[in-house]
Amino acid sequence: MSRIAEHPILGPLKPSGREVSILVDGEEVIAYEGEMIAAALMASGRRVFRYTEKRREPRGLYCAIGRCTDCVMIVNGIPNVRTCVTPVEPGMIIETQRGIGRWGGGDHGIH
Amino acid sequence: MVFTDVAVVGAGPAGLSAAIECAEAGANVILIDENTKPGGQLFKQIHKFFGSREHHAGVRGFRIGEELLLRARKLDIDVWLNCEVCGIYGGTELWIVKNRRESRRLKARKIILATGATENAVAFSGWTLPGVMGAGAAQTMINLHRVIPGNRVVMIGSGNVGVIVSYQLLQAGADVIAVVEAAPRLGGYGVHTAKLRRAGVPFFTSHTVLEARGKESVESVVIVRLDEYWKPVAGTEKELEADTVCIAAGLTPLIELAMLAGCEICFIPSLGGHVPVHDRRMRTSIESIYVAGDIAGVEEASTAMEEGRLSGIHASASLGLYSADKEEELSHQIWERLDVLRSGPFGEGRRKAKEKIISMKSMTQ
Amino acid sequence: MENEQNRLICRCEEITLEEIIQAIDNGCTSLNEIKRYTRAGMGLCQSRVCSRLIARIIAEKTGKPLDEIVPVTARPPSRPVRIDIFSPRGCNVKNS
Ligand SMILES: Cc1cc2nc3c(=O)[nH]c(=O)nc-3n(C[C@H](O)[C@H](O)[C@H](O)COP(=O)(O)OP(=O)(O)OC[C@H]3O[C@@H](n4cnc5c(N)ncnc54)[C@H](O)[C@@H]3O)c2cc1C
Ligand code: FES
Ligand code: FES
Repeated sequence: MSRIAEHPILGPLKPSGREVSILVDGEEVIAYEGEMIAAALMASGRRVFRYTEKRREPRGLYCAIGRCTDCVMIVNGIPNVRTCVTPVEPGMIIETQRGIGRWGGGDHGIH
Repeated sequence: MVFTDVAVVGAGPAGLSAAIECAEAGANVILIDENTKPGGQLFKQIHKFFGSREHHAGVRGFRIGEELLLRARKLDIDVWLNCEVCGIYGGTELWIVKNRRESRRLKARKIILATGATENAVAFSGWTLPGVMGAGAAQTMINLHRVIPGNRVVMIGSGNVGVIVSYQLLQAGADVIAVVEAAPRLGGYGVHTAKLRRAGVPFFTSHTVLEARGKESVESVVIVRLDEYWKPVAGTEKELEADTVCIAAGLTPLIELAMLAGCEICFIPSLGGHVPVHDRRMRTSIESIYVAGDIAGVEEASTAMEEGRLSGIHASASLGLYSADKEEELSHQIWERLDVLRSGPFGEGRRKAKEKIISMKSMTQ
Repeated sequence: MENEQNRLICRCEEITLEEIIQAIDNGCTSLNEIKRYTRAGMGLCQSRVCSRLIARIIAEKTGKPLDEIVPVTARPPSRPVRIDIFSPRGCNVKNS
């Protein structure tokens, strides 16, 4: 779970934008502007994006193209945002979603 | 409401090729895709393509994608990105949601659906744990986003997607510790399989994944041998230390828009399951709607491009942009190439399956 | 090992193999019926992930051929959209 700096076919990494800082569950994470949130999270070693409503089980990236909705998190207070198809913006506030999530985030939805 | 001659849904190899043909014929065309960039699956395909020169053999998928984009740009094709097509009405009207917020309506005289396919799942115990993902998801992470999704990977499925993505994982710097195949024989093209063997990746035929274990994400994977009835053999379980499981169990055509539109559907297992019935012109049972690429039966990028062109040519001709003779001539050239692509041990079955669909269409007419 | 019956089939709605088998035992033979009975297939992914798995279970349990188990009736929106998009001011909703 790290960035591929050098690739035998694709060559050196060309970042999608400038380095920016985002806040993930209160911790600062360095990401590239314009890259998908899920990519930035995985590059920082994070794999658990949310916990389910019924069984409270961890979930993370599954399809990576916006189809399965398993990667949803609370982004800038909005729940159910598919992080694999949502680009990073500077200063984004991202939170692990619990259950169906709650608008405004913060309290982490259901307990 | 916006009006256009042709709306193409999906900007993968099929949709891009379709839009290019329409624009070259002189039609007004709008190409719509839900992603931030066009290209569909093409930009993830960093391996070299097979086939003859005309089919871009030896060229890597992402280079073909760059070529297509360049042509689309030269033709000034209107590309609507970040636009999901959510509804289809009366065979000519699309409901589109841009940036997940903004509703738009588009009326087109012809619609070409090139929405591609979606990956199949395998539901073993623990398949919802973080670290279990589609092979396509891993491919997207390494080749598009340049992030390794895991360090020690178990691949389920030895078909082309399974072996290609396994090799690409190695190229990205991950370890593929096992390729697990339920069938007694390997499924993919020999060239790709051989590359993996040379790299020392172990293959387990007649095996499946029984369970992914771990607390917050995958920590180990239990595989088991299958008997001739595909039932797990007790006592043959092996626990492998792994942090990732990739599922490459085939693709299913994404036909929901065709179903919404009321297109007739048929079931062809070798092409991925339910597909819209279509004729040699790629026209569905609804006159104004065409299909091309994986939605019309899962094949490869090279066939998707040819089908895209075919649908574009016929949609343009139906708008009066080509004479019947010209239409026939252009179509014939593409069919010759499609027949070549659909030959050989892997292609022959697809050619027969395609013929079956086309014969259904002529029966219903 | 996790109990086999407890294995999830529908990721979105967290519906287990056992619940789906129960639905079939109670007479469900189509994806639409299973969906109404168990909610399997009613999730955010719009059954894109689980419908094939459920179709296979129906086929195995009932002997119904796979070609007769058609995908769930499509209804717009074919994608999850935010509810406010249906309001007249849908376009004005801010992102943050
Ligand atoms: C993981 C994976 C690996 C593959 N590897 C190979 C390979 O190595 N070699 C090979 O030849 N083939 C491969 N394929 C097969 C591949 O699907 C085809 O090669 C080819 O990409 C099909 O082209 P297409 O244009 O039909 O679909 P796609 O390339 O999938 O394009 C469809 C596009 O439509 C968009 N779309 C779908 N629905 C909507 C909607 N409602 N609104 C807006 N946009 C929509 C999609 O997001 C996508 O961008 C692979 C497929 C997958 C999934
Ligand atoms: S991982 Fe499937 S929607 Fe993001
Ligand atoms: S997995 Fe069943 S609805 Fe999404």
